[in-house]
Amino acid sequence: MRTKQEYLIRYKDGNLYCELADIWIDPSKPVKKALITHAHFDHFTFGCEEYISTKETAILLKERVGDNIKIKTFEYGEEFKINGINISFHPSGHILGSSQIRFIFAGEKWLISGDFKLQKDQTCKQYEIVKTDYLISECTFGLPIFKWDESNKIANDISKWITNSPEKTSLLFCYSLGKAQRLLNEISQTNFNGNIYSHGSIHKMNNSYRELGIDIKDTIKIENKKKIDELKGSLILLPPSLSKGYYLKNFKNIQTAFASGWMSISALRKRSGYDKGFAISDHADWDGILEVVKKSEAKNVFFHHGDSEALSKYLVEKESINVLFFGK
Amino acid sequence: MSLKNFSELFIDLDSSNSTNNKIEVLKNYFLSNDPIDNSWAIYLLTGKSNKRFISGRYLKNLFSQIYEYPEWLIDTCYLKVGDSAEVITLLLKNQSTSRKKKLSNISLNELLGKTIPDLSKLNEEEKNFKIKNMWETIPEDNHLIFNKILTGTFRVGVSIGLITKSISKLINIDEEIISHRLMGNFEPSIDSYEFLINKKINLQELNSKPFPFLLANTIEDKIFKNSINDFQFEWKYDGIRMQLIKRSGNVSLWTRGQELVNESFPELVEKMSHIKDDFVLDGELLVWNFKEQIAFDFSLLQKRINRKSPTRSIQIKYPIIFIAYDLLEVNGRDIREINLENRRIELEKYFSKWKTKTENNISDIFKISDLIFPKDWPDALTYKEKSRENNTEGLIIKKKTSIYSYGRKKGIWWKYKVDPMQLDAVLIYAKGGSGRRAGLYTDYSFALWKDQELIKFASAYSGLSNIEIKELDKWIRKNTIEKFGPVRSLKPEMVFEISFEKIQISKRHKSGIAVRFPRITKWRKDKKINDADSLENAYDLMKKIS
Repeated sequence: MRTKQEYLIRYKDGNLYCELADIWIDPSKPVKKALITHAHFDHFTFGCEEYISTKETAILLKERVGDNIKIKTFEYGEEFKINGINISFHPSGHILGSSQIRFIFAGEKWLISGDFKLQKDQTCKQYEIVKTDYLISECTFGLPIFKWDESNKIANDISKWITNSPEKTSLLFCYSLGKAQRLLNEISQTNFNGNIYSHGSIHKMNNSYRELGIDIKDTIKIENKKKIDELKGSLILLPPSLSKGYYLKNFKNIQTAFASGWMSISALRKRSGYDKGFAISDHADWDGILEVVKKSEAKNVFFHHGDSEALSKYLVEKESINVLFFGK
Repeated sequence: MSLKNFSELFIDLDSSNSTNNKIEVLKNYFLSNDPIDNSWAIYLLTGKSNKRFISGRYLKNLFSQIYEYPEWLIDTCYLKVGDSAEVITLLLKNQSTSRKKKLSNISLNELLGKTIPDLSKLNEEEKNFKIKNMWETIPEDNHLIFNKILTGTFRVGVSIGLITKSISKLINIDEEIISHRLMGNFEPSIDSYEFLINKKINLQELNSKPFPFLLANTIEDKIFKNSINDFQFEWKYDGIRMQLIKRSGNVSLWTRGQELVNESFPELVEKMSHIKDDFVLDGELLVWNFKEQIAFDFSLLQKRINRKSPTRSIQIKYPIIFIAYDLLEVNGRDIREINLENRRIELEKYFSKWKTKTENNISDIFKISDLIFPKDWPDALTYKEKSRENNTEGLIIKKKTSIYSYGRKKGIWWKYKVDPMQLDAVLIYAKGGSGRRAGLYTDYSFALWKDQELIKFASAYSGLSNIEIKELDKWIRKNTIEKFGPVRSLKPEMVFEISFEKIQISKRHKSGIAVRFPRITKWRKDKKINDADSLENAYDLMKKIS
């Protein structure tokens, strides 16, 4: 067995790091060279000398933080070399441009799953099964209580939620990049035909998606918050960073909901303070994680981003898969 | 007509936060379902069913056995979810391949009236087979309700008030009448539903039911602007609120929780049956110190509450009294519409008549409330402060011109409670919560100083805001000294102000004291642990009061 230092990729200062190439993956602090799996803010930090990502991720990043960054882009599946290591991006199905990253060195394959999901999502490329020897997987929802419903069922529930209270304005809180566009895409296929408004941050991302060739329903940019309670029967998409408390306190005749995988647990739903929760996630559920672990044919698995204890124990006991720990 | 419809109702009620919408949803449900299923629906929604047919543990073991699932994995999931019925519901979603293609749409009546109660007649093997079969044949959306009914944990965010309102709207009859009909026992049947929706107002069946209770609100400042003479003042006793009813010669005792408790207090039932008149009295049941004419502590009353057919010696050891403070009906005449001042006159009149005319002496078990006559509001405050001396919780203030309405109606009755006692204590243990607090450390134990040692004196779990709970949870995880199962011992660092209602000597506790209704009233971040109170302070407090 190798020591931690001998792994091709390991944890360093709380981030994934490949020493041989001196390259970091989604680092949380400025470094020389950073591979970025996708454009969510928790996978990205300012001030790196050089970024490397897919083309879509680069465009979304620039839209969010400005053109002032040095970023090199590659197509999905296109191999590039750093210090003798072959590196390539592969679709992870999380959001537009999101990717898994594969490293091949001395005949040994390493795969970083990035954030991923297997569920159908018309706003991004479907997850690609990539074979590997070592898998580093996220496990945000690594318990069997997480089993996602089809997204069209959730969209129908949302549609029903809005139309059941025609005298109210429905405020749906969701991440502005990825989740919002996926929801818009799904909701446009339901019976709901009222107006949809979106917050500036979401509006901006909608436009970027369209520029990248994804068909996103038109929404009205919501400018003046004061009018919110007058938009009876319509849907407003807002990022969760805006305080729901502010809306609940200042507007009458509204109902609020949060779209997140955590909303499948009623204790969390009630504690969230929203009136309603819709369990829809851009991460894999338990079955999704198990499927990826099996189909990747990885002999060794690492988990990060989540409680991995139960998942690891299950894989070791039930599936005889070797689960390793980085340590922090 | 079915569990499926009821599941949809449950989801609709759960997803709406508009009262009007909920009433509409309920009304439509009642209109489109059988009377018998409506009756069951009301039974479930008003929380009248809480019988546990199988335990949560049993449910989890059964799932583990059927689907070959490791128990530790179910337990890990439980920590996240906090409810056995919900955990199993979520896990069942992963078992969809074992589901039957043809789904059954079982009626509520069949499910609740037959299938589930019959489980207890089966041996373990048959019972397990039946539950498995239900899991595999009812639609996935129905699992939660099925599992919750099985484990006796079905609760929904619908108040009795909402049910009352929707039935009232459905048949266009005053809410108060519906509320009365919903009092007391409710056995699901076609008859019980037809009774609820009967358009005739004065129904014979109401004779067996208590009136909806009128409840007091917390005192509001604006009351002090009124003349003191507009109000009636009484002590607020810490007993069991009850209606004592005698109709057609039969005496019944109904608690505010709508339980018939005749069997626990047979001596009261016996004595009151000697009174010639029929009546409905509203009042408080207490264990009474006849020598000093004050109530004994609530803990003594607890020795009587759950004990059916108490022996003679128990009756003597814990002597009870019913203190009536209102007369609602007399000889079949409903007088709730008469104002309080006049009802009080009636009450006093009948009481003196009963005292003298009844064959047996009733005054050793029954009296009417003493009125208090403060000169002005500051004087009322003085009375309130003295309330601990006679073992009461403060004052009840009632508007003299008010009628006996129902529920927590504003502007009729107020409670003016004595300020709670307080001590600053150090957090030393925390335990995981359940239900909506699952996954967070929300049950806390607090300690006071004894010399250089911290001695546990109270446990509390209410009083912190959600934000504070989350913050404290984070702190707890970082500052754990040791774990014992679900309990963590903590680094003594955090000080909290704990309020409580009563303090007394207790041999059972290491601290030697016990407090009633402890709760957190302030997170004293400004205090260090050395600023926390000592047990000596607690004893001083006790002395001051007695």
